[in-house]
Amino acid sequence: MRRGSSKKGSANSTTSTNSSAMDLFRSASGKAATKELERIDQLFHSYSNESSGMIDPEGIEYLCSDLEVEHTDVRILMLAWKMQAEKQGYFTLEEWRKGLKALHADTIIKLKKALPELENEVRRPSNYVDFYSYAFRYCLTEEKQKSIDIESICELLELVLGSHFPKQVDLFIQYLKTQVDYKVINMDQWMGFYRFCNEISFPDFNNYDEELAWPLILDNFVDWVKSKHS
Amino acid sequence: MSSQKKRNFQIEAFKHRVVVDPKYAEKTWKILEHAIHEIYHRNASGLSFEELYRNAYNMVLHKFGEKLYSGLVSTMTFHLKEIAASVEASQGPLFLEELNRKWTEQNKALQMIRDILMYMDRTFIPSTHKTPVHELGLNLWRDNIVHSTNIQTRLIDTLLEIVQRERNGEVVDRGLMRNVVKMLIDLGPSVYQQDFEKPFLDVSSIFYRGESQQFIECFDCGEYLKKAEKRLIEETERVSHYLDAQSEVKITNVVEKEMIESQMTRLVHMENSGLVSMIVDDKYDDLGRIYNLFRRVPNGLSVIRDVITGHIRETGKQLVTDPERVKDPVEFVQGLLHEKAKHDKIVILAFHSDKTFQNALNSSFEYFINLNPRSPEFISLFVDDKLRKGLKGVSEEEVETVLDKVMMLFRYLQEKDVFEKYYKQHLAKRLLSGRSVSEDAERSLILKLKTECGYQFTSKLEGMFTDMKTSQDTMRGFYEAMGRTLANGPMLSVHILTTGSWPTQSTTTCNLPSEILTVCDKFKTYYLGTHNGRRLTWQTNMGSADIKATFSGGQKHELNVSTYQMCVLMLFNNADRLGYKEIEQAVEIPTVELKRCLQSLACAKGKNVLRKEPMSKDVSEDDSFFFNESFSSKLYKVKIGTVVAQKESEPEKQETRQRVEEDRKPQIEAAIVRIMKARRVLDHNNIVAEVTKQLQSRFLANPVVIKKRIESLIEREFLERDREDRKLYRYLA
Repeated sequence: MRRGSSKKGSANSTTSTNSSAMDLFRSASGKAATKELERIDQLFHSYSNESSGMIDPEGIEYLCSDLEVEHTDVRILMLAWKMQAEKQGYFTLEEWRKGLKALHADTIIKLKKALPELENEVRRPSNYVDFYSYAFRYCLTEEKQKSIDIESICELLELVLGSHFPKQVDLFIQYLKTQVDYKVINMDQWMGFYRFCNEISFPDFNNYDEELAWPLILDNFVDWVKSKHS
Repeated sequence: MSSQKKRNFQIEAFKHRVVVDPKYAEKTWKILEHAIHEIYHRNASGLSFEELYRNAYNMVLHKFGEKLYSGLVSTMTFHLKEIAASVEASQGPLFLEELNRKWTEQNKALQMIRDILMYMDRTFIPSTHKTPVHELGLNLWRDNIVHSTNIQTRLIDTLLEIVQRERNGEVVDRGLMRNVVKMLIDLGPSVYQQDFEKPFLDVSSIFYRGESQQFIECFDCGEYLKKAEKRLIEETERVSHYLDAQSEVKITNVVEKEMIESQMTRLVHMENSGLVSMIVDDKYDDLGRIYNLFRRVPNGLSVIRDVITGHIRETGKQLVTDPERVKDPVEFVQGLLHEKAKHDKIVILAFHSDKTFQNALNSSFEYFINLNPRSPEFISLFVDDKLRKGLKGVSEEEVETVLDKVMMLFRYLQEKDVFEKYYKQHLAKRLLSGRSVSEDAERSLILKLKTECGYQFTSKLEGMFTDMKTSQDTMRGFYEAMGRTLANGPMLSVHILTTGSWPTQSTTTCNLPSEILTVCDKFKTYYLGTHNGRRLTWQTNMGSADIKATFSGGQKHELNVSTYQMCVLMLFNNADRLGYKEIEQAVEIPTVELKRCLQSLACAKGKNVLRKEPMSKDVSEDDSFFFNESFSSKLYKVKIGTVVAQKESEPEKQETRQRVEEDRKPQIEAAIVRIMKARRVLDHNNIVAEVTKQLQSRFLANPVVIKKRIESLIEREFLERDREDRKLYRYLA
């Protein structure tokens, strides 16, 4: 969204020197805003694909190398989240504008500097659930796709939760890879696991109650862990 | 008298100004005292009642009641002391007799004294709140005789000793006992209770405790109980003869506690004679006795019930898991019916048809019948056996009895849907092979199932009967319309089955012989001509055929075979010898079926219309088959078909079980949706409970499966999880 545009029309005749300073400021900031927008757009076009008008996977790779970040790094995912990017591997102009504006980054350097702050923002508990569910949706590439295959889920888990709950994630990935009942994971199960990590004591699972409404896959996971230890 | 002051007239009582001679009282008293003495000396005949009464009356009138009363007390006391001494002096058995005699005399004396002193009793005594004469007499007796130091203990000991002797089998003087005990009762309830009843109960407790310990070592359960019962009867009888009625409940409680309650567990678990062996040996008398006796004590019946329940569950479990029994389904079910009949009889004959025992019986049966997952299949096979041959020539009443017994077992099943699946399969085979003993019996059972489970359970089964009937009509129409063109061909009989009503069968390949194919095609054309838009598929694995075969020596036989067998046999019209592979190529029947078919034609004794080389039991792909010229049989008609219902093989069983599980999924989902639609929001545990309850009449829903279905419904967006409370689910319209 464009920030405040310059006021048109007659100004109040009784404006004090203060307001004129404000006007100046506003017009200055207005100009600055426009400049920023321009630079953001420019940055966009430096990565975008000419024919599609979007940044495609190749473009993103370039972006990543410029940011000095692996394209599999979770911070790219966070960036996508900030942009609320819809399609995995692609950024549209609107999305790009949204994200970079919010980060106040109109150059690569500024963008790079904004990354740590972005990380902190994401990690705030109020945002994290949103980010976590976004991560799942982001990976649904086909239309009407509702679940993600085990292999990809394992990677995603590691990426998104690996630093938060390393032990649980590790064990769960192990379980997912060895079991045969489930070939895919759906959103309900995905969100269930996050809740699981947050609420259930580890590694004893003492407060886990099978009789409650935990997704079945987690019941099986707990059984599997318990039988492994006995 | 005009200005006279008014005087209050007072009418005074007329005082009899008799000068009372102070010696008068003394004199009168002496007369009365003398009379009392005489009465006590049993010399009352010389006394004048009227005179004595008057004397007493006068004394009271002249205000000498006090003197009279106290005189009475001291005189009676004096005599009682004499009596006490006399009683104390008696030896041995005479003690009680003397006491009794004196008591009788005392009562007579008291009666007379009371009569004489009646005026005092009615006037002086109430106004001075003194004890009335009769009661006074009793109290004095009590204090001076019964509570006399030398008598009190001796009396009670004597009484208790007599009771003990009677318990030991001696005959005692019950009349004497009755009188003496009555005396104690008359002296006041506290006298009887404190002086006699309490020590009586205490001593009895000790006695029976000892006896129970002794008996339990010497006698077996049945004997012991007989003895306990006898003692109870004895005690009741004793009370009725010479104790106070209120003691009955108290003494029987003592016996019950010491002889029954304290030994309950030991009795019930006694080896070789305890409750379990009574049940095993159908000892109705003993069982009736133990029921009646244990009923008297707290928890007695639950002890019996628990032991019986445990026993039935144990034997039932063995029954259903015994590998020998499991081999023959009909035997298996027969065994169950036998067990039930046995226990029913026990409950009726020995336990007075007690409802709690009936319930315990039912729950035990339900428990163990469901331990074997094949119970539903076996019960269906039992029914099949009965409806195919078992009920042949049996009266209608008996048929109903057997079917009712089947329904009783059916009610115990938790997996009624499994039964339904098997029943359908077996019914189909019965109908198609025309092997049902009586259509009435079939219909009767379906009606019973409908009453038990509702319309849905039986609608498809009824559809099967309808199809049979319709097919008959169709065949008639077919032959009327096409009769002439079919005259030279084989006679065809078709059953048209509506898919959905009949158990699903996968269609298999099979090349029918050309003559058969021709007539079948004609039928198909005819049928589709009258029923536009339908599709017919020949179920070659369910058909049968009658073939006429001629053997060497000109013997003709009519063979009843399955369709597959017919296809194979017809090949031998054009060849005497065929190898397995040639047969396979010609008929195109799947391997497993073909091998089974060839086995039944060549390897079964008495039915080997084909000869196999080599003569091994199993069919292999290298075998050769020959028409068996020398086949012989006593019967003209020979049955070789294999379309009879049998116990399923392991892989078949797995398949059926899988199908049942698949069928349950939509039922569970439908239940979940129904419940959520009504409740809108519900937590997990409650959904599981409600679903289980709704489906209970068909099968026991597995909570894990229910959970999985819920998740599937969430994925398909019928339900969602509540955002705040993770235990709740919401219905999405």
